Amino acid sequence: MSNIVDQARLDANWRAITAEIDAPRASVLERALRRVRVPGHVARLVVATPALRRAWYLSIAVAVLVGIGSSQPGDQGSLFALLVLAPALPVLGVALAYGPSADPLYEVQLATPMRGLRLVMIRAVTVLACTIVFVGGPALLAPDVRAMAFAWLLPALALTAASLALMTWLPPRRAAAVVAVAWFTVAAVVEAAGAGELAAFGAIGQVVALVVAVAAGALTIGRRDAFDRMGVAA
Amino acid sequence: MTPAHVRLDGVGKRYRGRAVLDGVHVLEQGGLVTVLGPNGAGKTTLLRLLATVVAADEGDVMIDGLDPRHEHERIEIRRRLGYLPQSDGLVAGSTAFDVVDYVAVLKGQRDDRQRRRAVFDVLDRVGLRDRAGERVERLSGGMRRRLGLAQALLGSPTLLLLDEPGAGLDPDERLRLREILTERRRTTTAVVSTHLTDEAAISDTVIVLHEGSVRFAGPPARLAAVAQGRTWVQHEFPPPDVRASWRQADGRHRCLGTPPLGAELVDPTIEDGYLLTVTA
Repeated sequence: MSNIVDQARLDANWRAITAEIDAPRASVLERALRRVRVPGHVARLVVATPALRRAWYLSIAVAVLVGIGSSQPGDQGSLFALLVLAPALPVLGVALAYGPSADPLYEVQLATPMRGLRLVMIRAVTVLACTIVFVGGPALLAPDVRAMAFAWLLPALALTAASLALMTWLPPRRAAAVVAVAWFTVAAVVEAAGAGELAAFGAIGQVVALVVAVAAGALTIGRRDAFDRMGVAA
Repeated sequence: MTPAHVRLDGVGKRYRGRAVLDGVHVLEQGGLVTVLGPNGAGKTTLLRLLATVVAADEGDVMIDGLDPRHEHERIEIRRRLGYLPQSDGLVAGSTAFDVVDYVAVLKGQRDDRQRRRAVFDVLDRVGLRDRAGERVERLSGGMRRRLGLAQALLGSPTLLLLDEPGAGLDPDERLRLREILTERRRTTTAVVSTHLTDEAAISDTVIVLHEGSVRFAGPPARLAAVAQGRTWVQHEFPPPDVRASWRQADGRHRCLGTPPLGAELVDPTIEDGYLLTVTA
């Protein structure tokens, strides 16, 4: 038998078969991501370590609570709470999902060809998507769906982009804290100025959010080297 | 596969104003290079510079003629790298397989099946295939270090950078590590940092770092030769002007420095040469 079979090929096939059989089962979250058509390698990047998985569970739990709590019919106060809190969730998620304090393999990751900005973007986009689903979902199911209930989307994008830009100077958690505090201050000041509770989310607010998102995005790309070296994020 | 060509030219690195490396020159291609030095000598910083995870403040770092200051060249260098940091970052909750599989994705292996095979190949190489599904916290310190080595071996790197790979390994595991390193001599430039002088014996080149400067670079035999004629043993307590001394198992004192007239000179070891170099 061994005379007519290419031994090297047989070994390679056997190795491939045993690798498939012996590979441990992926985590629940990773399997869920694969089920919604996220490619295997991307799912692995998103929930690679237990620290990252815990960050995800926490973010999703807070997002669901905010979504449910703020979907009460006709309540202006709960809508304001939704609009102020929801944009801060992706910022929290990104801070918990990137950097040396979140990723124990951070130094190993830096020495691989995977660009740091790409990795943080994959995680940021996934956090944003989760926030949209878990916060936007309950708002959509509310009996009196209002367009204003989705006015937090552009601010969410702007705050996420701003925290990414700031992460090129500050460690992720500090950058997120600065952005969140700045955001809550702006919302409070606009309300205190008597312009109305939802004034920050009107047309002008949306344009400002778009400008911030574009400017912060450009800044992040321009300073992307900071995600590839120890120092700032470390 | 050609081993990576490593060139450091007048490299300096500072942390908070303190020079950690100063005017370091290194030129190597192929074989096993051991970086010896006491704690705080700059070994980890040197490896981080080669791994391109920190940037030099002065001088040039070139790997295969590529300059890590340029983004595209830095990425190209990283494709050729295998890196085991001093802190391997292996956390509780992940399986051995998950850890290596994650690094395989970071190294650009997208195909799930090919990646799984590559992961099991390196786990097999370090003797951890049977432990693939085991959680990291259940592995011994030596096994965790081997797991770190497994991720570094992914993708057949031509530049292997290992920071204290022998820490926590038992004698059998150290033997396995030596085998892995020596069998790659022709295809890989392996730079290994350690503060254990006996680990340097199998290397092709030893670099002694002290207070951020290269104090010696050459083959291990030449490092031992530094102490030729300057190593002796005596029964009496050594005088204070000897460079280093310690009591041997036979009760005699082994001394390094300028021997007194009529001293009983002995053959020096790498450790003798190293101690004379760092106490100069």
